Amino acid sequence: MEEREIGLALEMKRVSKRFPGTIAVDDVSFEVYAGEVHALVGENGAGKSTLMKMLAGSFDDYTGQICINGKEVKLHSPTQAKKYGIGMIYQELSLARPISIIENLLAGRLPRKGPLLDKARARSQAKGLLAHVGLDLDPELPIEDISQHEAQLVEIAKVLGNGPCILVMDEPTSALSREEVERLFQIIVQLKNRGIAVVYISHHLPEIFRIADRVTVMRDGKKIATKPIGEVTREEIVQMMVGRSVKEFYKRDERKIGETRLKVSGLSRFGFFHDVSFEARRGETLGICGLSGAGRSELAKVLAGLDRADEGRIELDGAEVRSGTMADALSRGIAYLTEDRKHEGLALRLTVGENIMAPIVDRLSSGSVFSKAKGAPLAAELIGELDIYPPDPERTVGNLSGGNQQKVLLAKWLASKPKVLILDEPTRGVDIGAKMTIHSSIEKLAREGCTVLLISSDLPELVGLSDRVMIMRKGHFTREMGFGECSEESLLLAANGALGAEGGA
Amino acid sequence: MADDRSLGSSSVGRLVSAAGVYGIAALFLAVGALLQATGIIRGFLTIQNMLNIVDAAALVGIVAVGMAFVTYSGHFADMSVPTTMGFTGYVCIELLRYGFIPAVIVALAIGLLIGLMNGFVVGKLKANPIIWTLAVNYVTMGVIRLIWVNKQIYPDMRGSGQKAVELFDNIYRLRFFNLIGLPVVMLLVLVVAGQFVMTKTSFGVKLKLTGSSLRAAKFSGISVERVITTAFVLTALTATIAGLAVTSLSRVGAWYNGAGYDFKAVTAIVIGGMTLAGGRGSILGVLGGSLIIGLLNNVLTLLGVGTFSQDMIRGAIFIVVVGINAKSLRSLGRDDA
Ligand SMILES: Nc1ncnc2c1ncn2[C@@H]1O[C@H](COP(=O)(O)OP(=O)(O)OP(=O)(O)O)[C@@H](O)[C@H]1O
Ligand SMILES: [Mg+2]
Repeated sequence: MEEREIGLALEMKRVSKRFPGTIAVDDVSFEVYAGEVHALVGENGAGKSTLMKMLAGSFDDYTGQICINGKEVKLHSPTQAKKYGIGMIYQELSLARPISIIENLLAGRLPRKGPLLDKARARSQAKGLLAHVGLDLDPELPIEDISQHEAQLVEIAKVLGNGPCILVMDEPTSALSREEVERLFQIIVQLKNRGIAVVYISHHLPEIFRIADRVTVMRDGKKIATKPIGEVTREEIVQMMVGRSVKEFYKRDERKIGETRLKVSGLSRFGFFHDVSFEARRGETLGICGLSGAGRSELAKVLAGLDRADEGRIELDGAEVRSGTMADALSRGIAYLTEDRKHEGLALRLTVGENIMAPIVDRLSSGSVFSKAKGAPLAAELIGELDIYPPDPERTVGNLSGGNQQKVLLAKWLASKPKVLILDEPTRGVDIGAKMTIHSSIEKLAREGCTVLLISSDLPELVGLSDRVMIMRKGHFTREMGFGECSEESLLLAANGALGAEGGA
Repeated sequence: MADDRSLGSSSVGRLVSAAGVYGIAALFLAVGALLQATGIIRGFLTIQNMLNIVDAAALVGIVAVGMAFVTYSGHFADMSVPTTMGFTGYVCIELLRYGFIPAVIVALAIGLLIGLMNGFVVGKLKANPIIWTLAVNYVTMGVIRLIWVNKQIYPDMRGSGQKAVELFDNIYRLRFFNLIGLPVVMLLVLVVAGQFVMTKTSFGVKLKLTGSSLRAAKFSGISVERVITTAFVLTALTATIAGLAVTSLSRVGAWYNGAGYDFKAVTAIVIGGMTLAGGRGSILGVLGGSLIIGLLNNVLTLLGVGTFSQDMIRGAIFIVVVGINAKSLRSLGRDDA
């Protein structure tokens, strides 16, 4: 690594941003060198995203000074920010969903032939951008037809296409699989070598130790410290983040596993998964492990009644379930927590309370008269149990920090008291403390007799919570591992196919 | 700023924003009075004229209250309202010979069917609501022309019983205390019922979720198709009620009976503070919006402004209101309008 003679790419001096009732960023000074990867960490709601949104021109009422390459600038609109070469990959995906990948990627700079769109060139440019992030997709597809992790990569490709000199990534890996994370790291190293300043936000500390040069810790809107990565340990970072030490640990209580609740036999949805059979019992947590694209989410959607199976049979407590809609499945007690929090999980414009009560509207009504008061104690209890901040059911969900939104999503499904709960990446974007809270809620649910199907790319989580793990590979269940055999290594090997000969599916 | 957003979801906030609409209505009233005081218009501040305003507002309001459910569900507007009004009016007159009640019931049933069809096609088959309902509007117009070959029909020309004709002619002319017309009473009943349904029932809660985020509602296990269909049915039913009113008041079944009500209703809805994005606004606001439309028409007519120019002015107001609406949503950081 060379010494930094290039100097500061970004200097934020004593910046603050307040929202009614909160100071989200409180007198923070933050500097990034050109060619540096600077990690930004902190608990949910610490103010990381707000600090970076300031940079992206989202607010016109921040205070303090921002200098880019030594010159003071005002960043009051996204256009200004873009002009100064700031690229932002948001925590919440921001692509326009019904529009094609091409149009998203090349928005504002579609190549033209005279007055007309130069289709062939647009296509090849889009292809090139996609290839850069390791995607081989048809660029004509609309965003809503590709998966979460692909959309995340498209988003990254889009921002890179603008040629930024400062690149901010707000939890870019929370929707990515391991292979894709590796690919992203390679890209980050390339960018760094080209002298681009990268700000990297993540709750996943091992990642930070792999790629960051320095790390800044935030807590309650304030900056706690900035340190070269070599001079801190994981424990010290956590200590600075939460003000106490937290260990990621899994305590296994004695589990009471009852009789079979869910029986799936020969289930197929052509093109996604084939001939899947398994049983899950009362009080059991069944992990489902696989690479992205292995068909896990698609299986979940079929079980939840959101998509139809082409073949096979689903039985709940011995009776066949043929649900055509999610409403059907839910009324029988099968609930599904989606991996797409922003579009499918939450109504961002409504309040925390309204979102939590959404699946149980009918249960809270007598006749057809809805009683909010009847749901209020339940909402308050869940807000307390999951430690949702701010603890106010009247807050608009979209104004909560990412991790707190994720907790609201879980609260919504805990409120519905399901018999079978399918969790698709339940701890996406939450901090270590919140992860432990969510895990103990899941454990509690299982103890109360709920059958939990857990889909997660977080292997420690999968190992820690599951009684058994089914390995899914290229649309097939390839094997099952009991709690005893499960380890991160064994799961990874199995998910890649024991021989590891073939690449990612 | 984020505060009035959270305020907007509380009942106090809803009253405050609805009060704003009534403030504007009062302003229009004051402008009318001023124009009269300065001698530019005459006859504005008479009891008779006030009744005219309220009567006109009532007809728009009845349609708007129903259509507000479609807007609230995030599906903008039902453009099939004009011919639904015209068609059900024709049907009712045509069937008067079988008696008043059967004629009204069949008319309502036809309204119901149109609503069910719109709801099914938009909710289940996911057609674009504006395009689809516009198409329905034209098709229904075609049906009217096919059946009645471009003729207007009159209640007393179809060999119907005297009693049924009289009942049909007079019912909407009914005035309580010689003052308040039946349409006004109907509107007030619909407003109270509509406000209750929208805010206090499980259907209302589901409608709000659907309007705020269709996907999130679906992924919460809500039968969004059913919710959307109900919204379109409510619109078609209120359109039928208004259609019968217009037909009865003009004593003629004509293809143009509902003309303009689509746009007047949408304008009343957005002036009343309901966003086209769905999930925000209230029926009380829509009532205020309808009053404003009634006042505006009246003042413009007294000023001698022609129908076409009135349409233009209404259009301009619509654009401005939607613009303000979108801007305030954007400044709140949610430009998903
Ligand atoms: N638009 C808003 N209106 C009101 N409060 C807000 C708004 N946006 C953020 N906040 C508040 O500001 C604080 C900081 O939020 P921010 O999103 O920056 O947190 P974060 O560090 O990114 O957290 P996470 O790790 O969960 O993403 C939180 O308390 C949040 O509730
Ligand atoms: Mg954040």
